[in-house]
Amino acid sequence: MDSNKKYWKGLEELNQTPAFVKGSKSEFAESIPVEDVLNEAGLSTKTPRRDFLKALGFGLGAVTLAACNRTPIHKAVPYVIKPEEITPGIPNYYASSFNGQSVIVRTREGRPISLEANRNSIGLNQGTDATTTASVLDLYDMSKLHNPQIGHKDVEWSALDATVIAALNKATASAKQITIVSNTVNSPTTLASIAQLAAKYPTTNHVQVDAVSYSGIIEANRTSFGKAVVPSYHFGNAQVVVSVAADFLGSWLAGEEHTQDFIRNRDHKTLKSGKMSRHIQFESGLSMTGSNADVRIAIKPSEEGAVLISLYNAITGANLSGGVTANKKAATAIQLTAKELQSNQRNAVVVSGSNDVNVQTLVNAINSALGAYGSIIDLDNYSKQYQGSDAAFQQFIANANAGQVGVAFFLNSNPVYDYYKSEDVKNALAKVEFTLSFSDRADETATTLKAIAPTSNFLESWGDASSKEGYFTVVQPTINPVFNTRQAEQSLLIWAGNTSSIYDFVKQNWEATILAGTGKDWKQVLQTGFIYKGTNSGSFYTFNGDVQSAASAVTALDKSIAGEVELRLYESTGMRDGRYANNAYLQELPDPISKVTWGNYAAINPKFAEQIGVGENGVVKVEANGYSVELPALLQPGQAMGTVSIAVGYGRYLVGKAGNNVGENAFPFAKLVNGTVQFSSKATIEKVAGTYELAQTQTHHTIEGRNIIRETSFAKYLQDPNSESGRFSDTHKTYDLWNKFESPGHKWVMAIDLNACTGCGSCIVACNVENNIPVVGRDEVRRRREMHWLRIDRYYTIQDVNEQNEVVGYTEEKKIKHLQDFESVTVVHQPMLCQHCDHAPCETVCPVLATVHSSEGLNHMAYNRCFGTRYCANNCPYKVRRFNWFNYWNDSRFDNYLNNEFTQLVLNPDVTTRSRGVMEKCSMCIQRIQAGKLQAKIENRKLKDGDVTMACQAACSANAIIFGDANDPESEVAKALRNERVYYVLEEINVQPNIGYMTKVRNTFEA
Amino acid sequence: MSSHNESILREPLITGKNITYAQVTDDILLPVENKPNKAWWIGFIFAALGAMLWVVSVSYTFWTGIGAWGLNKTVGWAWDITDFVWWVGIGHAGTLISAVLLLFRQNWRNSINRSAEAMTIFAVICAATYVVAHMGRPWLAYWIFPLPNQFGSLWVNFNSPLVWDAFAISTYFTVSLVFWYCGLLPDIASVRDRASGLKQKIYSVLSFGWNGSVKTWQRFEIVSLILAGISTPLVLSVHTIVSMDFATSVIPGWHTTIFPPYFVAGAIFSGFAMVQTLLLILRKVMNFENYITMFHIESMNKIILVTGSIVGIAYLTELFIAWYSGSEYEMYAFENRIAGPYAWAYWCMMTCNVISPQLFWFKKIRTSIPISWVLSIVVNIGMWFERFVIIVTSLHRDYLPSSWAMFYPTWTDVGIFVGSIGLFFTLFLLFLRFLPGIAIAEVKLLLKSSSLQHKTKLVQEGAFPEEQVEYFRNSLGKYDSVSEEDINALKVK
Repeated sequence: MDSNKKYWKGLEELNQTPAFVKGSKSEFAESIPVEDVLNEAGLSTKTPRRDFLKALGFGLGAVTLAACNRTPIHKAVPYVIKPEEITPGIPNYYASSFNGQSVIVRTREGRPISLEANRNSIGLNQGTDATTTASVLDLYDMSKLHNPQIGHKDVEWSALDATVIAALNKATASAKQITIVSNTVNSPTTLASIAQLAAKYPTTNHVQVDAVSYSGIIEANRTSFGKAVVPSYHFGNAQVVVSVAADFLGSWLAGEEHTQDFIRNRDHKTLKSGKMSRHIQFESGLSMTGSNADVRIAIKPSEEGAVLISLYNAITGANLSGGVTANKKAATAIQLTAKELQSNQRNAVVVSGSNDVNVQTLVNAINSALGAYGSIIDLDNYSKQYQGSDAAFQQFIANANAGQVGVAFFLNSNPVYDYYKSEDVKNALAKVEFTLSFSDRADETATTLKAIAPTSNFLESWGDASSKEGYFTVVQPTINPVFNTRQAEQSLLIWAGNTSSIYDFVKQNWEATILAGTGKDWKQVLQTGFIYKGTNSGSFYTFNGDVQSAASAVTALDKSIAGEVELRLYESTGMRDGRYANNAYLQELPDPISKVTWGNYAAINPKFAEQIGVGENGVVKVEANGYSVELPALLQPGQAMGTVSIAVGYGRYLVGKAGNNVGENAFPFAKLVNGTVQFSSKATIEKVAGTYELAQTQTHHTIEGRNIIRETSFAKYLQDPNSESGRFSDTHKTYDLWNKFESPGHKWVMAIDLNACTGCGSCIVACNVENNIPVVGRDEVRRRREMHWLRIDRYYTIQDVNEQNEVVGYTEEKKIKHLQDFESVTVVHQPMLCQHCDHAPCETVCPVLATVHSSEGLNHMAYNRCFGTRYCANNCPYKVRRFNWFNYWNDSRFDNYLNNEFTQLVLNPDVTTRSRGVMEKCSMCIQRIQAGKLQAKIENRKLKDGDVTMACQAACSANAIIFGDANDPESEVAKALRNERVYYVLEEINVQPNIGYMTKVRNTFEA
Repeated sequence: MSSHNESILREPLITGKNITYAQVTDDILLPVENKPNKAWWIGFIFAALGAMLWVVSVSYTFWTGIGAWGLNKTVGWAWDITDFVWWVGIGHAGTLISAVLLLFRQNWRNSINRSAEAMTIFAVICAATYVVAHMGRPWLAYWIFPLPNQFGSLWVNFNSPLVWDAFAISTYFTVSLVFWYCGLLPDIASVRDRASGLKQKIYSVLSFGWNGSVKTWQRFEIVSLILAGISTPLVLSVHTIVSMDFATSVIPGWHTTIFPPYFVAGAIFSGFAMVQTLLLILRKVMNFENYITMFHIESMNKIILVTGSIVGIAYLTELFIAWYSGSEYEMYAFENRIAGPYAWAYWCMMTCNVISPQLFWFKKIRTSIPISWVLSIVVNIGMWFERFVIIVTSLHRDYLPSSWAMFYPTWTDVGIFVGSIGLFFTLFLLFLRFLPGIAIAEVKLLLKSSSLQHKTKLVQEGAFPEEQVEYFRNSLGKYDSVSEEDINALKVK
């Protein structure tokens, strides 16, 4: 509808005043004072009251816009001149070796951060032991010397060199000996540099002595076979392994190498083909090896010889006197064992942990009778890891006391601490005109000497090793020496007047001696890390020893040890001979059996403890060979009655911040018998006043009859591979409250073979190093606050005879209380880590979604989002979540090692450190998964099985941990999880864990 | 709540002779309008010292980290959440008294609701401090609320009982505070009307301009009813949700459907015990014997008896179900409670919570002030242990024996708990000093219906048959505020 109506807004419009007409042409009726404001005068104009809201509105708007700006980005300063090989964020890998094992060192931005086994190398193991994994921390040890010292004062290297050369010349002039005391040196370069010194100073001699000695084996092999070496053992080729007090999976010779070899014959793949070796252990203290045995018999140290004599008699039909008589259990077991051995001729081996020549001669006789030489015991490709001679060191002390030694150098040797008569060493050294240690720190021996020429860490040095005949590994530096140190070989060369650099020396030495005839050059060696020069095996060895006299000597030795209480010293898995005592990772690594950290203890049987009136947290005084020490008592099931076991390697007092005065020194308990150092002796033990709480990570030791551990015997397994595994998913229908989590791409899962895991704990250290897990110290461990993401639960089953005279395993506290015999135990080790449950109880309870599920089946933890209610940890049925109770990175109360900028360089930059108040747990090495995926993407291919390995998996010599993608049916892990033995811990509560465990299978006698 | 003549069989809610409206105001405002007495000062000094201990302990925790407490990898909650649940539970009696009893027209609530509500608010404040203090990073506590944020679309986890908890507790606190404050308005106005100077000004602002008109009273009554209606579900919901912190978990001993009713009963149980603890002292020190009478004390004891019995049945049901379920973990959790390393705590709980309230079956005990007071303390100790038992003994030995651990409190744990009691009493004593501890207006409502003097007047007028009067006389025997003379006066003149 048309309208002529006209609307007007004001009289001005109606009247069309000139002002209105003018104003209506512009957009705003009133002029906007933009110009006024923008010119300088505008700033001083008054703001009228009416503009208040405008100003407010503008102000708010402006501030809001300004606040929308992103926070400034702090850029990392790039290299001014970028080293060609370093790309920030991308690790570099170098082949090197540690203790003769070929390893790959991972460096980031020029600093080494972790070590893994060189999987391409042959021989030795594919995993690393705890000391190897932890060794990277020693590079960043603040307790090391920063400069060479003379008389405890820092000096220049030139001054030291002058002093040393003067001393060497003086000794040469007066025809006095120049002795280099070292532990076993198998490095061709080190030996060559010593030879250089010897060439310049003809009175030079080299004494090798090991704190834990294997002289007995060497000497026995000299007399038995005319070859003074420690053989290599291939336990994987043995169907029956009998060990008399040899911790061959742990600290005895090359434990991890043995582990890999031995477990190969017992793991899920072998079991699948219906095979498994049998392992029988006779020992007094429960060792890690004993805990993995199929049959374990507790004997006193004084019965070790008798057991061997009985075995010899039973196998050969000989009639040597001195066999086992009193110990009925052992006698029965020996009969069964002997039968086993005989029926497995050429497939059986007996080893002994004794360092006595006669005992080892007897062992050689048994092994000869069994035909173990050749495939199992290899004297051709013998081990060169322990060549120390107790007699040689005795001779050195005698020479020094006689004033015949002019100069003594100590290389990797600390006899003031680890020789059983430390005073003798000190007195002898006082008579040497010039003494010097190459120690990297002012340790117990070095402080008593005149000078210290601190050697560089192996990660700062050039060098090599030859841990086996024909097997050579290279040591190459991954960082420049951090402190003013110089590697010992270089020092020796300089003193010998050789001016070539150590790099040239190593290279020339390799090219001249090792590489000759292999067709490989030095560069290739640096890339591959090792050279293996064929096998010269197959030589035939005839036993030439005198069994009769050896047996009577053994009986005499047993008699000298026999007593109401007998002491046996041993090397613990983490601490070994005390060399690594300042390594906080190792100090906090729980002992595989006792789960004790930060210290040693006197292990005694609970019943024996009752007899001498000692309870939990009790303290005992142990006395033997004129030395006594007070130690906390550990009630150790499986320990033979009337025996005490004490670990050596503790009680160092000049090693550094972390390791000083941890535990008590047990080396002085040793004594020299028949020319070798013996670790067994009779002793007395008594309760003393006071209490001491050991820092244990596990304080309840049995499974209380729960099915979290599923165990069967080999015989039952052969009848039914499903035996005892439960087959939960086949027999139960489950109902879910929650939706199923889809994992369309990858689904990361793990399989853990309980039959392979020996409990050694190297995975724990590897996890610590990879994931920057803080070490919290003894007090915090006592408060049960260790931070380990991965732990190994160790459960005992106490074996006793019931009323029907059957052997029954007891796991319930209330029943165990009434048992009388704690000598027979079986042990299971169960690695426990975040199970990455598909229906994770932790995820539902977190109020802020700090822990969530990924589409790849992982349970993520967003540290930044966590505000620390700890509800997730409470609701975790596996109790694998760890809370940062304090700011461990920056709190002087927890300064075990890391509260300084230097040591913090060991941290893995791929993993953030966690602040106080935040929960953490196993991330399934998400940074490694990510790196693997990125690498595959760069190479434009699919991720393959094996591209991603977990830190724990890489460290495991036994291959007990298998990781991979469950969505790939051909992956190792998918295959492993299809194994009949697989079960899931606590599967009945339907949290749907993603880590499958395989039943423990024991090849027991009863079967 | 109009005045009417109620049956003579009902016991009086106000005793004393010649009580007038003015007398009621005078009596109740005595502590507010005068300098505090010695008893108040002694109490306040101790309470303030306690509160200072709380400040020190909490500050130390904030400064060093939760590691200052005795918690460990296995036991992630212990005294913190025990104390939290304890305080929240205590708060429940206030709401029950003020809301549920209002709806059920239980007039006897009128003289105790004010203090009980105050107790609720202070208890919830104490509880809330634990919610923040137990966090690893308390400065981020606000993340518990679904606030818009700059972290992308980061939201809270509505599946988590802790989020429900945050809502439940904050709602509870808000509603309780509003309810309490609305009830205070006429009384604050009374204080205002009798005060002068600055004090008058302050109370004038606080009274929100109360003018005592009929319209004001009418609105007051309606608001009270509405708030009572809102609060009533909270009595059930808050502790139900708190119980879900445990019930929704997978931990044996926590994973239990019985928890909601069991926790609510326990909360009322402990709340009434705390009201009893406070009021028995209050009536003595503040001379409120005429307003908080033996009838009140006995009624509360009866509630304690009933809720205590419910709690006892819940304990036994738990044991039965643990056995009946056939779940070995569940069974072990209870075996461990009964005979494990914390058995002393379990039996302490059983004795305090199940056995001791049964003594209230005896009228002598129910009406004895000293025994009632001691038992109220015993119940509160027992209820603290109940939470300790649930939380610590369930956690310390759960599924994998390798992780089993003990919990030992540190001085900080103890300091925060003792300190929170100090904080509570500091607040409570300040409340008594500045606000009327009994609802003056609501007590006045009863004066013309349920007071002894009114009933005496009616008796004297011969309004009731003699046998009923005789019954009434007998029922007065237990009253400590009624003299022989008062009883003898109950005769037709």
